[in-house]
Amino acid sequence: MTELAADVVLQVEDLRTHFELGRRVAKSVDGVSFSVRRGETVAVVGESGSGKSVTSLSIMRLLAPPGRIIGGRILYRRRDGSMVDIAELPEKAMRAVRGREIAMIFQEPMTSLNPLFTVGDQISEMILLHEPVGRAAARARAKRMLELVEIPAAERRLDDYPHQMSGGMRQRVMIALALACTPSLLIADEPTTALDVTIQAQILDLLRRLQAQIGMSILFVTHNLGVVAEIAHEVVVMYAGRVVEQAPVTRLFERQKHPYTRGLLACIPDASRDRGAAGERLRLNPIPGNVPNVTALPAGCSFAARCPYVVDVCTKDPGPPLVAAEVAHLSRCWRHEAL
Amino acid sequence: MTVVTHPESDVRARQGGTLLSVEHLCKQFPAKSGLVKAVDDVSFTIRRGTIVGLVGESGSGKTTVGRCLLRLIEPSGGRAVFDGVDLFALSERQMRTCRRRLQIVFQDPYSSLNPRLRVEDIISEALDTHGLARGAARRERIAELLTRVGLNPEHARRYPHEFSGGQRQRIGIARALAVEPEFIVADEPVSALDVSVQAQILNLIQDLQQAHGLTMLFIAHDLSVVECLCDEVVVMYLGRVMERGPSRRVYANPRHPYTRALLSTSPVPDPRARRERVVLRGDIPSPLDPPSGCVFRTRCPHAIGACAQVVPPAEAVGPDHVVACIRQAELAA
Ligand SMILES: Nc1ncnc2c1ncn2[C@@H]1O[C@H](COP(=O)(O)OP(=O)(O)OP(=O)(O)O)[C@@H](O)[C@H]1O
Ligand SMILES: Nc1ncnc2c1ncn2[C@@H]1O[C@H](COP(=O)(O)OP(=O)(O)OP(=O)(O)O)[C@@H](O)[C@H]1O
Ligand SMILES: [Mg+2]
Ligand SMILES: [Mg+2]
Repeated sequence: MTELAADVVLQVEDLRTHFELGRRVAKSVDGVSFSVRRGETVAVVGESGSGKSVTSLSIMRLLAPPGRIIGGRILYRRRDGSMVDIAELPEKAMRAVRGREIAMIFQEPMTSLNPLFTVGDQISEMILLHEPVGRAAARARAKRMLELVEIPAAERRLDDYPHQMSGGMRQRVMIALALACTPSLLIADEPTTALDVTIQAQILDLLRRLQAQIGMSILFVTHNLGVVAEIAHEVVVMYAGRVVEQAPVTRLFERQKHPYTRGLLACIPDASRDRGAAGERLRLNPIPGNVPNVTALPAGCSFAARCPYVVDVCTKDPGPPLVAAEVAHLSRCWRHEAL
Repeated sequence: MTVVTHPESDVRARQGGTLLSVEHLCKQFPAKSGLVKAVDDVSFTIRRGTIVGLVGESGSGKTTVGRCLLRLIEPSGGRAVFDGVDLFALSERQMRTCRRRLQIVFQDPYSSLNPRLRVEDIISEALDTHGLARGAARRERIAELLTRVGLNPEHARRYPHEFSGGQRQRIGIARALAVEPEFIVADEPVSALDVSVQAQILNLIQDLQQAHGLTMLFIAHDLSVVECLCDEVVVMYLGRVMERGPSRRVYANPRHPYTRALLSTSPVPDPRARRERVVLRGDIPSPLDPPSGCVFRTRCPHAIGACAQVVPPAEAVGPDHVVACIRQAELAA
């Protein structure tokens, strides 16, 4: 197996995850590559249907049929230093990684919380499953976890059931559960999307603080570029199952090397741009049209039909490759130099 | 006397007098363990031809306000004077006729359209109930409405599931426009959409508003959308109005600690923006048992003992700019 750079925890290489739907095939993830370094937060951003969740579920090996990894590698550095390809790991070996070394949190806390057990029992179970400790020690650790995610009166809250808590508190319990075994990599799939901005700010603060304390890496999936700007070090922009641009966060927001990313940023309402001098409303700059269906992608670049920079070559196969437009700045666009 | 013309007064002069005045609106829902005070003593006015944004966190009572105004649910108290008539005093029959003038666009483009009806029947439902158009005239009207919201008239015979989220929201807007209403409540019409499509719909709303002089209550939780679209903004928390005023003023100079917290935590797409963020502790209290005095005090970084004693009165701090906080003057200093 090829070597990973010393500080790389996860390296996804040409991942392809498809869904066979009768005679059609949904190419939900089609040739995705990126890596995550130790202590780094990589944001995967893109609109609905771009393949963000399928990417995360592939890494966790939680895909349900007909979803299947049909190609590529997911190299992961285990805590003992050994390297594995998650795409090929037997399920039994995967169970030692999942939850313990790589943990995941979801948009909807109830996908990971069991309504029939108290939150204390659920966190203790997770610890007992993966570590050689006794019940009392596990419960004490569960309490510390609740304190870590700033749940007041943690001792008492251990005996609460999930439905007795507010949405924001459940989200924090889910984070406590995910972090119970101090994972090296946390995959967070839209963990704040359903929350109000004040609660979202609490959760983002919490994740940043915990990352500094534990030194874990975070793969943060979101469609909100505002959240990306707050939490990410590195940004991967997905469109129709492919990475179309990747760069360090400040660079990406400063200058975009793909028309899709540029369009995404231009259509976020921003009063300093979308209001005139006298405060009159100006029109926003939408991206015309809709995201294409991944079961019937057009020839060439998937974004061509909506792209203001489109030229003839864009609609012909093969589509543009992902290339370094600048140092550490990747773009999948024939015309990245014109941008 | 010198007349100082402020750029804002220009815009305001072109807009008309009050179309809707909401006064002391209350709505309680019975629950197992008491009453949910979903909306408590809410007052604001909307001038003809303007868009007023209603913002606040989940559960603050925004949808309840919108639904009470159209009497889709019955208010528990207060008045809503629309063009001189108190909507809450109308009989059900009178309200039905009046409903032609007030329409609503719903949040969820997926569940708000009847999946068994064709687009033409969804759009013309209100036309049909009010007996406004039949036969060829009806067909023509539907085609015209579809064109106006940027859809193809040939789409009239299709069913909702054949459309994307953005297209469905256009259908919902066409339905609301069918009876040429004067006033529309838009309840989070873009919240479920991707940003690229959200901008398309916001432009559509803006165009329609300008072309028809529509008046609108625009419910949202995205503060930047409201800042771009709305003339005035009403900020709610736990059933009450914390602050209201012209958008430019409120965004440039928020006076209520809750408004400040909301604005400072709403994420902006700029990694270099180093803002002073007011991260609120804790969660929104239950509306079954709201805090005494100021309902925001349990999360307010500036709360003092007196905040638990009195419900803060709405104080004017500028033209049409009102704040409900007993410490607003000293906090502004
Ligand atoms: N179980 C499935 N069966 C068929 N197609 C699927 C399935 N799961 C996902 N897909 C398809 O794969 C594509 C990518 O889906 P995915 O859930 O990864 O999108 P996403 O980027 O997470 O979007 P969102 O922002 O809406 O969560 C979509 O077109 C979706 O329809
Ligand atoms: N039919 C009902 N019966 C009982 N309680 C209700 C009912 N409708 C709303 N509520 C309660 O009233 C309060 C206000 O709800 P409302 O839906 O108006 O809030 P909102 O501001 O629109 O929130 P969101 O942003 O989540 O849409 C909430 O506490 C809600 O649980
Ligand atoms: Mg997803
Ligand atoms: Mg609502």
